Amino acid sequence: MHEKERDLVSAFMRGEMDRRELIRGLGALGVTAGTAGTLLNMAATKAMAADFDWMKHSGKSIKILLNKHPYTDALLANLDNFKSMTGMEVAYDIFPEDVYFDKVTAALSSRSSEYDAFMVGAYMTWTYGPAGWIVDHNEWIMDSDKTNPAYNWTDMIEGVRKSCAWNGRPGGALGSDDAMQWCVPWGYEQNNLSYNAAMLENSGIGIPNNLDELMEAAAKVQADNEGIYGIGVRGSRSWATIHPGFLSAYSNLGEVDLNVSADGKLSAAMNTDASKEFHAKWVKMIQDSGAADWSSHTWYQVGTDLGAGKSAIIYDADILGYFMNGGENAMAGQLAYAPFAASGNGAPTPNIWIWSLSMSKFSRDLDATWYFMQWATGTEHALFGARNMDFVNPVRQSVWDDPMFRDRIAQSYPGYVEMHDVSAPGAAIKFTAQPLFFDLTTEWAASLQKMVANEVPVDEGLDQLAESVNRQLNEAGLG
Amino acid sequence: MQHQSVLENWLRGIALALIVLFFMFPIFWILLMSLQTNETILRSPPSMVFSPTLSNYQAIFAGRLDSNAASLDIRFLGNLWNSIILSVGSVGVALLFGVPAAYAFARYKFRGSEDIAFTLLSFRFAPPLLVLLPLTSYFQTLGIADTYFGLIWVYQLICLPLILWIVRGYFEDIPADVEHAYRIAGHGWFATFRNIALPLARPGIAAAGLLAFIFAWNNFIFALVLASADKQPVTVGALAFVTASGIQYGQIAAAVVLSIAPTLALALYAQRYLVEGLSLGAVKG
Repeated sequence: MHEKERDLVSAFMRGEMDRRELIRGLGALGVTAGTAGTLLNMAATKAMAADFDWMKHSGKSIKILLNKHPYTDALLANLDNFKSMTGMEVAYDIFPEDVYFDKVTAALSSRSSEYDAFMVGAYMTWTYGPAGWIVDHNEWIMDSDKTNPAYNWTDMIEGVRKSCAWNGRPGGALGSDDAMQWCVPWGYEQNNLSYNAAMLENSGIGIPNNLDELMEAAAKVQADNEGIYGIGVRGSRSWATIHPGFLSAYSNLGEVDLNVSADGKLSAAMNTDASKEFHAKWVKMIQDSGAADWSSHTWYQVGTDLGAGKSAIIYDADILGYFMNGGENAMAGQLAYAPFAASGNGAPTPNIWIWSLSMSKFSRDLDATWYFMQWATGTEHALFGARNMDFVNPVRQSVWDDPMFRDRIAQSYPGYVEMHDVSAPGAAIKFTAQPLFFDLTTEWAASLQKMVANEVPVDEGLDQLAESVNRQLNEAGLG
Repeated sequence: MQHQSVLENWLRGIALALIVLFFMFPIFWILLMSLQTNETILRSPPSMVFSPTLSNYQAIFAGRLDSNAASLDIRFLGNLWNSIILSVGSVGVALLFGVPAAYAFARYKFRGSEDIAFTLLSFRFAPPLLVLLPLTSYFQTLGIADTYFGLIWVYQLICLPLILWIVRGYFEDIPADVEHAYRIAGHGWFATFRNIALPLARPGIAAAGLLAFIFAWNNFIFALVLASADKQPVTVGALAFVTASGIQYGQIAAAVVLSIAPTLALALYAQRYLVEGLSLGAVKG
């Protein structure tokens, strides 16, 4: 770093200038925004090292298991900073997403000590935690000797942080006082609308504000734009069909997946009158305006069709729309974003997917691994990834408040920041935490497929589903 | 001698062409996809008219994947090399042990021979995950987890039973009198095995080796569970093109073309042995 640049960054770190002044100053010296972010990150890393003994585990090695993902790219791009700050060595294995959880599950179930930490989804911890394969991270987070004073745990968005904590009791509320923190949030996805602005404009329709409007908009945009379908939602026979737009809309209408009685017993809640009404609308929306091969649609098909201009709207993960707005996609630069509340009350409550990090119970050195964990989930790395790479959505409020990040997103992703701001207060996992989650939710998706294919009427299908769910809960001793 | 009319010849030719087209079309389509960008692959409606590009192959050989969101390092050539090591190594080991064992089971009746042979065959019945999870612990204890040696050992679950049972049937088809005549001339059992049985069984051995190679090449789960990312075969490596930020269809197609090339070349080269070996080994005289 040259003297002038270093002086500017140091002044910023001392609080003598704000971020905009710093950017302007660095710009005058010919430093690009990306490089400015890197310089800031290096300076911030040094500042962070001043308050905490980061070299305590110097010379130790850990190994982490990662999914091939933009979050992983951001981590690897910044990993040298961690190594130089701690003197630790970090080895890693990266596996494709399609087989990633097979690898994680195999490693944990065989009690392998090969990996000290790994990427995980919060839903998976409902299996891994009670099985004793991962640790309760509260033990480290709350220990001031092991966690750096700048870690700022409560900076994590509350709904996201709490969604990674469960007390292990079937039906237990996420984030309760007695909950174990099975994973530490890293990046997350809200489920909202991403849409092709030109197609909606061509139809002369605005952004839908409730489920009925969404159905109408999907039908009209499909009719007015040749060769496309109106709305992309997932449809494969998988739990992943239920958790994005479907459950976000469902929960926004006040519906739940399971009832939890006072004595902790669970029972199916998807065959109420309101639920049946919602299902009927959802099924009709897919029949009228969904993809012809909807029942095979996963994350990939939903995103690819939006990016290729084959669909007008998706009700899915916001970062899926984010990714489709760049690269080689035919519709790159033409997508926009909007929050969505199915009830029309203007207060979205999106269900979320959280990419998190967890420490393996079988790690040979959990304290050293926690050094990596707190750095990787800390503010400095989150800022680095959010400003310079595609580490979105950040889980820390301070990053969402960062002007450099907001400006970058606002320039290329119209409406994205506003969408997040509106939905974040209501964003959380809306499922009931329980060990049969994957089985029951997959069956829910299978029922939905039958309803869309007109193999069974919605009312009857939901009654059959509820009966099956109740039977399985009873057999497992949960009902 | 029967004579076929011109019409029959034409119909036969058309039928054969349709069959070839039916079976080869997916491979042909993948080859075309490998020469297109994602944008042309995804256009609607699909078209066979496009400007061919080698960019997908270049990306694989350069080791960089340009996804929608970012550029990622890819190690597909490393995966290809791993597949070659694992498949060739495991078939080689299986031939080394399986062929003499097949000969023994075919020619010598000893106590428990059928039980042993069936036990070896039963390796093929077990669900892989049932075996692999305990093996992970054993391999860690033995220090052979995440090694080519350990993987080639596990691959014997695929290759050894296949080679043993196919080659055994073939040895049984060779008239024992031929070997007896050679032995009467004063040669030992090993010389008989090497100079009489092995040459006569060569088509069967080639066919079994080829089949074992294909099964080993297509295996997915063994390396996934037992090894790190740097030892994964093409079956796992090809999935790296399916990322959260999009599917790289062109590069997947290029990867498929590259990954089927070795087995396709081997199968074309050895197809004469394959048909001859399998048909002769399967029918008892």
